[in-house]
Amino acid sequence: MFRTKKVWFFLMPGLSLLLLFYVIPFIGGIRYSLQDGSYANLFVGLENYQKLWSNPMFLLGLRNTMELSLICAPLLWILSFLFASGLARVYPRGVFARSSVLLPYLAPSSAIILIWQLVFDFGGPLNRIILAMGGSQVQWLSSSAMRLPIIIMFLWRNLGLCTIIFLSAIRAVPVSLYESAELDGIRPLRRNISITLPMILPSAYLVFILSWINTFRIFREVYFLSGSYPDQAVYTLQHYMNNVYAKLNYQMVTSAAYSFAAIVLVIFGVLFFLQQRASNEINE
Amino acid sequence: MKKQSRHFGSRFLLLLLAVLMMLPIAVTLVYSFFSPEEIRTYMATRNSYTPGSLMEIRLVPEQVSLMQYYRLLITDQTILRFFINSALYAIAIIAGQLLILPMLSYGLSCFRFRGRDLIAFGIVLLMVLPFQVTMVPNVLTLRALNLLNTPWAVILPMLVLPFSAFLLRQYMLNIPRELLEAGQIDSAGVFRCFLQIVLPMSKPVIGTMIALSFAECWNLVEQPLTYLTLRTDLHPLSVVFSQLTENVTGIEFAGASLFILPALFVYLIYQDDIMEGIQVTDIK
Repeated sequence: MFRTKKVWFFLMPGLSLLLLFYVIPFIGGIRYSLQDGSYANLFVGLENYQKLWSNPMFLLGLRNTMELSLICAPLLWILSFLFASGLARVYPRGVFARSSVLLPYLAPSSAIILIWQLVFDFGGPLNRIILAMGGSQVQWLSSSAMRLPIIIMFLWRNLGLCTIIFLSAIRAVPVSLYESAELDGIRPLRRNISITLPMILPSAYLVFILSWINTFRIFREVYFLSGSYPDQAVYTLQHYMNNVYAKLNYQMVTSAAYSFAAIVLVIFGVLFFLQQRASNEINE
Repeated sequence: MKKQSRHFGSRFLLLLLAVLMMLPIAVTLVYSFFSPEEIRTYMATRNSYTPGSLMEIRLVPEQVSLMQYYRLLITDQTILRFFINSALYAIAIIAGQLLILPMLSYGLSCFRFRGRDLIAFGIVLLMVLPFQVTMVPNVLTLRALNLLNTPWAVILPMLVLPFSAFLLRQYMLNIPRELLEAGQIDSAGVFRCFLQIVLPMSKPVIGTMIALSFAECWNLVEQPLTYLTLRTDLHPLSVVFSQLTENVTGIEFAGASLFILPALFVYLIYQDDIMEGIQVTDIK
């Protein structure tokens, strides 16, 4: 550990960009959400927030965004954990499996949307399977059923990175821990939950946070599939923000952003607290 | 041998999942060798809502054709033009990050000074905040500096990607302190220590950072849509591609393949780094 003032030389470029683009305007922007946006820019207190929280489109976008993240994040977390523990056990060096899951993360959404449009077409492969199993075809891309394709696309894109983070953490767990479990005859699934998971808690927590914040980008897929005004079931907060921003309504954009920031930070605070408590328990 | 047979079920499931994950990319590549006419005829069978009329599942072209690529690269270079935009954004952003982020993370991991943990935690908070929130401070600064509707609007805020800074710092925290102390005894200054010890040791995480930032830059959607509203000519391909392919042109799969190809290369170069580079000890 160095203790010298020279540290500021290293910090300066990054910190000044962070301050300039994020911290200072974040604080400075609060006043926009408290003004009326007229020429005189009168101070109106929380009126903008009141208007925002009674705006049906904002509420719709917020609800959809929160619902989708509530479905997607835990699902992704569980799937990637299972996948990573499977890979670690069966293919300790599995290059193919590892690559095939990570590539989707690198492929641009707009390039891959073509295939999804085919897969979820009314006459496409998914409906073909459903028909073959005795169901009836669903309009995946133009009705409230669109949530399922959106969730599948999300999982497809993000499974890789989460799996890799889990995988590199699982590999660092000492093998000796498993050997005693094997002697005790513990089943693999229980072993994963009671031995692996506590050992890799920081990574598990990071994956959860990452899955969760990536759910806020579901907008992309929805936007490419159905533009700025999609079906009500998939109208996200980003749609609302973009649409009011396009009307140059800075009051509503800022109030929405700060309201959302408050929600996200509170949830993060709770998750952070839970993680700290869990890791303290493990250390004891 | 007993072990082999016991894993058969999981082996099969994992491989099946891996193949399914690859399928969208693989099919895109295959379709790029269909002739444009064939693709047009095939795509025209979409959106038929008569129950029971299913699309064919095509995986083999009538005749392998390079016509899509010919048109894409020679006759109509629109996609190529925006591809170059995308490439320029990616190069500028990654080069900037390489200059700024390792230094920042070095300062935040190998030095001890007041406020260090506060700054590090601030970066984690920033990592959690979604684009819907950070777009507001970004726009405020960009507007004040008159940078909206210039390429800088996309580049500058991305230079301090919090997730990259977080990963770098986590990795550098794991560099053995003895090495740094040995450097100190040799009276190598903090600068030489950075260049000769910390940077070479951080190679895996820097590779990871490049790959993950590339994924980010190659899939820019929200930023250009909000910061470049008046200059659609500056948009990267990640935004434009879906507009260009709205009306079936017959060359979209070659376009998509070309667009995915750099991601493949980046993955191939950095795949080992990604496995080693993500080390998380504690999120604070």
